[in-house]
Amino acid sequence: MNPQYASLLIALPLFSAFLVPLIKRAGKKVILPYLTLVTLIQTGIAAWAFKEVYTTGKPIIVLAGGFQPPVGINLYIGHFAALFVLIIAVVSFFMTVFSMKAIDVEPIDKYAMLFLLLMLGATGMIATGDIFNLFVFMEITAISAYALTGYNKTGEASEAAMKYIILGGIGSSFFLVGVALLYGSLGTLNLAQIAMLASKMNPTVAQAALALLVFGLAVEAELFPLNAWAPDAYQASPHPVTVMFSAFVVKAGLYAMVRIVYLFKDTPAFMGILNLILILGTLTVVIGELSALRQTNVKRMLAYSSIAQIGLIAVGFGVATPQAVDAAVFHMVNHAIVKALMFLAVGYVAITLGCPCIESFKGLGKKMPLTAFAITVGAISIVGIPLFNIFWSKFRLLLAALQVGKTGIVALILGASLVEAVYYFRLIHAMWFEESKDEKVEENLAFSIIMLLLVALIIVIGVYPEPVWNLVQKAATDLYNVANYIKNVPLLGVSP
Amino acid sequence: MISAYYFGAISLILIGLYAILTKRNLLKILVGLSIMETGVNLLLISVGYVSGRTAPILTEGATPQTAVDPIPQALVLTAIVIGVATTALALTVAINLYEKYKTLDIEKIRGLRG
Repeated sequence: MNPQYASLLIALPLFSAFLVPLIKRAGKKVILPYLTLVTLIQTGIAAWAFKEVYTTGKPIIVLAGGFQPPVGINLYIGHFAALFVLIIAVVSFFMTVFSMKAIDVEPIDKYAMLFLLLMLGATGMIATGDIFNLFVFMEITAISAYALTGYNKTGEASEAAMKYIILGGIGSSFFLVGVALLYGSLGTLNLAQIAMLASKMNPTVAQAALALLVFGLAVEAELFPLNAWAPDAYQASPHPVTVMFSAFVVKAGLYAMVRIVYLFKDTPAFMGILNLILILGTLTVVIGELSALRQTNVKRMLAYSSIAQIGLIAVGFGVATPQAVDAAVFHMVNHAIVKALMFLAVGYVAITLGCPCIESFKGLGKKMPLTAFAITVGAISIVGIPLFNIFWSKFRLLLAALQVGKTGIVALILGASLVEAVYYFRLIHAMWFEESKDEKVEENLAFSIIMLLLVALIIVIGVYPEPVWNLVQKAATDLYNVANYIKNVPLLGVSP
Repeated sequence: MISAYYFGAISLILIGLYAILTKRNLLKILVGLSIMETGVNLLLISVGYVSGRTAPILTEGATPQTAVDPIPQALVLTAIVIGVATTALALTVAINLYEKYKTLDIEKIRGLRG
């Protein structure tokens, strides 16, 4: 197949989203099956792109309208983008199945449309090769995320959405100022060309521009000063949307940040920005973990835990040795799997028993044994017990930090694991060792299959980490090796 | 001359940021957000401005040598559209909040905490 078909990854969700009003005429019942079908096709295309990239070892470059960059906008689906586009599509597919039970608020057609746009935005952020195009995709993601956060139309949902809108607005303004500085000094918006010309830029201006871009993207990436919206939005948005936020929206923001910062790898501005990311990441871990400790709402506790994990990933990218980047990308993949499982299970408990507060979880082992088992596996994995997947990524991150002699980061990772152990074992204790007088609940077959699949994935990666580790190393090299990135994009007027 | 545009743009951004950070009324915060976006747009436009040239529209007598840089203008057009969408959504949410809490004071809208 012609690699240009990879543009369908963007085109399919976009057109499908605009077809939703037409589908609605056939009846409200068909909207969610239609959503499932679209995400299934998207998964197929993503799997094809993944296979293509990993068998040929070459990235897929899609030229919009056939114009060569930097005149036209290009999509760059390298090893990293191929892996994450696949994760996005698979998680979205699972969430459409979950939505059938979890979404009972009207208007369901608007929900389907926003769901597809959220998926499109995150895919686009990861796949694009142009900084302004990145901004547009970021805003598509953000605006659909604002609307989905407020979808339940309760006071709390509106409040969370409003916080998200205000912080997102500030972030996007910062991002645009950064773009203006970059464009003003380099005269280009293409990421590969920016990387090529990066050394010609005045280091002070480059540092200012990068700092603005980092702060702009920190809203989506949930780094400390700009993540106040995240726990509220996670708590108030519909359950499938929470899974999507945690599994890939935040990853897309983090990826965009790292991609832009790493373009300046060989310039004097790089070290200062790495320190900024390290500090932001460390603060995010500390504050996330400490806030998670005192939550009684399990969904909110998981939100803080998710934020802390993102902080750890940011710390990995801040260390910026090849080993640390490998470990950070591995942690991204593992975190996507585990948090998809956790939020799915907790959301399922919340819709069955009415509330995601800790009282619902008392005696869950008797009421919903399979769901309780899934939550237990996820919790143990996050804490970092061997034979579960997150152990390996935390371990690699530790090794990478030791290699550069940053013992502070080692202490941070171990301390974070300790705090996680405290609040996750509290949850496990509540589930298995406390009594409750409620009856046993019949568990839904489709959700059980999805949860068991994710549990199996966690354990398989935990026992045999090598295959995934090899994939992840290739993906991380794509992020780290900027010279290769420049070489792969066929820039107009530049001989290869 | 060009520095006057930069100065104006950055003052607008700072005025907007000040309003967002200090005001308690939700609508004033949203106005601040819009002012900030306008400032950013003005900054982007002034990056591509070349003194004494015309708009980059293909008309009789306009050549690439007599027009300003068209790319920032295309960017700003997109940014304005995005800004309008965000503002419209934010106002919708504000209406919803007012119906639920009967106030627009952000100090009093505190259902979520912890």
